[in-house]
Amino acid sequence: MDLNYTPEDIAFRKQVRAWLEQNLPREPIATLAQRRTWHRKLYEAGYLGMGWPKEYGGGGARPMEQAIVADEMARTNAPAPTNGLGLGIVGPTIVVHGSEAQKRRYLRKILTAEELWCQLYSEPNAGSDLASLKTSAVDQGDHFVVNGQKIWTSGGAIADWGLLLARTDPKVPKHKGITCFLMNMRQPGVDVRPLKQITGSSEFCEVFMTNARVEKSDQIGKLGEGWAIAQTTLGYERGGRSLARVTTYAAQYGCLANAARRLKRHGRPLSDDPIVRQKLGRIWADLEVERYSALRVLTHLERGEHPGAGGSVTKLSYSEFEKRFMELAEEILGPYGQLTEGAPPEYQLQIDTAVGERGTWAYAYLWSRAGTIYAGSSEIQKNVIGERILGLPKETRADRAGATR
Amino acid sequence: MNFSFSDDQVLLRNSVRAALDEQCKPAHVRAMMEDSRGYGEALWGEMAKLGWLGLPFAEEYGGAGLGLVELCLVQEELGRAAYPGPFFASVVLGGLALMLGGSAAQKEKWLPAVAAGSARLSAALVEESLDWDPNATEATATRRGDGWALTGVKRFVPWAHVSDAVLVPARGPEGLSLFLVAPSVPGVSLRPMVGIDLANRWSEMRLEGATVNADAVIGRPGAAGPVLEALLRRAAVAASAEMLGAARRCLDMAVEYAKIREQFGQPIGSFQAIRHRCAEMLVSAENAHAAVYYAAWALNAGAEDAAMAASVCKSYVSEAARQVCGDAIQVHGGIGFTWEYDLHLYFKRAKALEPLFGDAEYHRELIARHVVA
Repeated sequence: MDLNYTPEDIAFRKQVRAWLEQNLPREPIATLAQRRTWHRKLYEAGYLGMGWPKEYGGGGARPMEQAIVADEMARTNAPAPTNGLGLGIVGPTIVVHGSEAQKRRYLRKILTAEELWCQLYSEPNAGSDLASLKTSAVDQGDHFVVNGQKIWTSGGAIADWGLLLARTDPKVPKHKGITCFLMNMRQPGVDVRPLKQITGSSEFCEVFMTNARVEKSDQIGKLGEGWAIAQTTLGYERGGRSLARVTTYAAQYGCLANAARRLKRHGRPLSDDPIVRQKLGRIWADLEVERYSALRVLTHLERGEHPGAGGSVTKLSYSEFEKRFMELAEEILGPYGQLTEGAPPEYQLQIDTAVGERGTWAYAYLWSRAGTIYAGSSEIQKNVIGERILGLPKETRADRAGATR
Repeated sequence: MNFSFSDDQVLLRNSVRAALDEQCKPAHVRAMMEDSRGYGEALWGEMAKLGWLGLPFAEEYGGAGLGLVELCLVQEELGRAAYPGPFFASVVLGGLALMLGGSAAQKEKWLPAVAAGSARLSAALVEESLDWDPNATEATATRRGDGWALTGVKRFVPWAHVSDAVLVPARGPEGLSLFLVAPSVPGVSLRPMVGIDLANRWSEMRLEGATVNADAVIGRPGAAGPVLEALLRRAAVAASAEMLGAARRCLDMAVEYAKIREQFGQPIGSFQAIRHRCAEMLVSAENAHAAVYYAAWALNAGAEDAAMAASVCKSYVSEAARQVCGDAIQVHGGIGFTWEYDLHLYFKRAKALEPLFGDAEYHRELIARHVVA
């Protein structure tokens, strides 16, 4: 056990920090074209797709180096690259499960943001029970025809391609009849509509597919293997960003502590109120525990161990923490915390949001409700932990045996 | 960067666990709950032989020269076994205090004897007020001849009744000082304070002009503050490790029980109400693990954030362990509330350690001083 960074890692961090100081955009990013330019710059510096194989345009870097880049970007509040799902989910899925031809065709263009990607998993009636999805892909000899509806597709409005889960065999038990495809979003049979969330913004879309076409060459893995593939890729992205996430929390915490020193109750600064101090002390302790846990996750990744079901422990812990943190922020900030406009600088959150916009406390508070729902709700994570880590018996479920229809 | 145990550390943990599984079964714990001294000499001798009692001491003092991470590994296993005996008092409180502040002569006199198990130490770190801030000490030390006379009342002194000497902070003309006092000297009286964890022993230690020699002072008179602060941090983290061990045992028992106990015609672990509770217990235990070993490493390495890490650790683990052990009783239902079932041994151990060396609120205030100011 040695929690010091190696001299190589320290040197690498310095190098990344210097690069960011030189290259960070001077003006806030306003358009997709600007974000693509920034993305390209990051890629050319070697900071995207760092862990992907070199022959497909990746960097072959260690998990620690990836974590350091993400962490330094969080520290400097750097804008995110575009194509987050391409980088986080689709690319790694193609690296692990794709054919040689698919790797050559798609990976580099994900890295260069020439092609933007989305993920077509959830459906209106297949949320936590994702395996009950109904979107169908029917074999037409030389291609598949896709019909159905997807929801919670992040980045759907700008995506050129989508990673699709569709049912190819309705006669077998539901987990066995799903296949994974790469689908062109730029075709007449695909209709994308923005979905307005409680934030008022639309990071997500609904996608309607009416006789959409998927080429045979764009099937990932074998027929009926889609569920297994989705299981392995859901948690890909979690480890590498674990440290950066905590760094962002710490920056937000700094803003909150500053506000607590200015705000008053009964004539005294909130930061002198023992109850507020207790609450702030507790959240800082929780935040530090998340940081220590991130270092543990990184240790596993460095040793080449996939976190597996352990990823559920991490995700459950940080997403629930984020809710507690934002609830405390709102409590301390009072109505300032709800402002979407007109907040004085002292009560603003000078941190980028998940989608790279200048964030407000109000947005961060609302967004914290999403973390315990997306990518497997807290309840699903607890099922995974219970069954796969603790070995508790599965529920008696009515849907395991029969065909889907 | 490496947050996993080395092969040697894993070996140490496994050998400690194997020895305690064999020699510190619940039946032994229960027997010692009824014992007048409260611990078994045979196991104590074995612990000395295996090198545990000198684990953190330098080799020149008969120790193994290992660090706080290794010490916490042992503490975690002791918690997992609800070990009854003065290991923590003697090795962590007494031994580390001498390591931190003792003179070469004091170390030579005591550490080899502690390591060999022939001497036992403890420390009297709190008084009536329960304020763990060393500056709150009210006991006094006045010059008497070449030595000192000590007066005051210490509470919750662990295993004082079997200790050869107890470290006693007292306020003297030079300021806060630390003395090594034998409970057997005239002017010292002990009274048992019996808590819910009967495998753990506390005494009230009353000093009424108890006289000690000049060489009983640890470090310089008036210079005890930093030693006590360093000791309290280490004690807080080592106690957290023991609480973590108790929590791990409770989690294991709850999960095993949930697999075999049937109600409504199925194992209760198949119900989400139980399964989700167990999953939450695991998250708490994993987070507590990270908090304990990060802090142990940081204190050992003298990392910049070591004091913060100790407070994060104690505030987090104090509540997490209580929660996990309590949830284990809930998962068990009625049987978890019986004296015969072993769960309460661990539940009570975690509870006994929770308020010591600063409770969660005490440490949250220390954290707030750093990050809120």
